[in-house]
Amino acid sequence: MSEERKKILEMLTEGKINVEEAERLLSTLSEDTGTASDNSGKTPRYLRIMIEPGPESKNQDRVNVRVPLKLIRAGLKLASFIPKDAQGKVNEALHEKGIEADFTNIKPENLDELVGQLNDLTVNIESKETVRVFCE
Amino acid sequence: MIPLTMRLGIKKKTGKNFYLWLPLFLIWLIFIPIFILLSPLVLLIALILWPTGKGKIILYFFPVFFRLIWCMSGLNVDIQTKSGTFYLNLL
Repeated sequence: MSEERKKILEMLTEGKINVEEAERLLSTLSEDTGTASDNSGKTPRYLRIMIEPGPESKNQDRVNVRVPLKLIRAGLKLASFIPKDAQGKVNEALHEKGIEADFTNIKPENLDELVGQLNDLTVNIESKETVRVFCE
Repeated sequence: MIPLTMRLGIKKKTGKNFYLWLPLFLIWLIFIPIFILLSPLVLLIALILWPTGKGKIILYFFPVFFRLIWCMSGLNVDIQTKSGTFYLNLL
């Protein structure tokens, strides 16, 4: 039993608080500890991409990819060795696909922050196919 | 952790299937001594090419490349299509 919970029960036995107040305090305490345990959960290690056919989909293709986040970090660092003219071609190809991203501007010191933000990423798209992108 | 085994499979609904289980730890046992033996040569090439600017790239490329291989453990790709199945698993 936690110290806070003990104190609440002691206050109840001493008559400092009534049953309703004790109940309210205990529920608040359990909510707080629940949130804290959620935040202190395991650090995500993998980026997972899942594509599954929906009920109306004619295409029955399934994709299940699990990529270690460390590999993404290392891959982005390796990408800095790509010659600038080749990076320009990559950016052009991305532009043609409608993706406006310039990977030459990503500095090594920003990589950790960039990959770190992926931890909170969750994408759910439900159309003909169900697409899920999340970290686990 | 460095990947120790690799499973690769291509299963076609029509035609030949292909399965490969590769004990990577045996490959590392062969390659790591070779890389250690070649590292002074790489260092020498990097020093020679340093004024051109390529030496720095050579010197930094190898640690990053090894890190990339080191981080591949846990990679899993599983694709199922009408024509067949492809999977790649590094453990």
